[in-house]
Amino acid sequence: MLTSILQQAPAETTRYMVAGYSVIFSVMFLYVVSLIIRRRNLKRDLEILAEMEPKEK
Amino acid sequence: MEPKPRLLAILDIVTVLLLITAVGMVFLYAPLEAVMGQVQRVFYFHVANAWVGMLGFLVAAIAGVAFLRKGDHKWDVVGMAAVEISFVFFFIAIVSGSIWARGSWGTWWTWDPRLTTAAIVELVYAAYLMLRQGIEDPDRRARFGAVYAILSFISVPLTFISIRIFRTIHPVIIGSGAAGAEGSFDMTPKMLQTFMFSLLTFSFIFADLLWHRIRLGKLADKTENLRLKVIQ
Repeated sequence: MLTSILQQAPAETTRYMVAGYSVIFSVMFLYVVSLIIRRRNLKRDLEILAEMEPKEK
Repeated sequence: MEPKPRLLAILDIVTVLLLITAVGMVFLYAPLEAVMGQVQRVFYFHVANAWVGMLGFLVAAIAGVAFLRKGDHKWDVVGMAAVEISFVFFFIAIVSGSIWARGSWGTWWTWDPRLTTAAIVELVYAAYLMLRQGIEDPDRRARFGAVYAILSFISVPLTFISIRIFRTIHPVIIGSGAAGAEGSFDMTPKMLQTFMFSLLTFSFIFADLLWHRIRLGKLADKTENLRLKVIQ
């Protein structure tokens, strides 16, 4: 009885948890997207350069 | 262009499955912490992000030593890849830690030894990324990167031990005897399992991203070499 009176409910911190995981997943997602975009751009550059490359006789 | 290795494709799938499982454990398996409430769940991925940060900076330092010893440019690619990934994950650790601090300490930031040294680490590696951009010659850039990665790694263990040698409000989670700091908590077996699983998951995420970033670095080198050839 005394324990249940003294025992407090956990603090209401749900919005901080939501904010924390939003940051974690957003930044991870953006980094993966940046890797994909950079790879795609490099592939395109490589194709263009390969066309421009002087052919050896 | 090199096709994606089969092992990398398998690693991608395993990593995604581990991440889904870790998220499930954080939200469905780990119990609600009695004092801090829901914000304590940030802890699992906050520490895992910091772990990836420190691991990558270590890999960069080792790659730096390997480059200086062997002079092989591939080690520069590895070092750069590791620093970039760790910079991102350490940034996440700092921001998520700040949000956790707001929920449990009532403040977004305090110049506590752990927070201060973590901020210094992030700034040191931000400088690494910026200074590299300013060096045109690939050999000089690689040598600079190697030496910088080795020297700047000193800041990483300093951050790790800062909460053990200074008075701090940051909780000591790993190797803690007493949980006296503000915001510290005793982990139940389910919490500990979730924590260890998150560390394992993020180790896989690091390995997977590192492999992808190294492939990107090699592709960038190939493009640069071809560009020089076309210009000449």
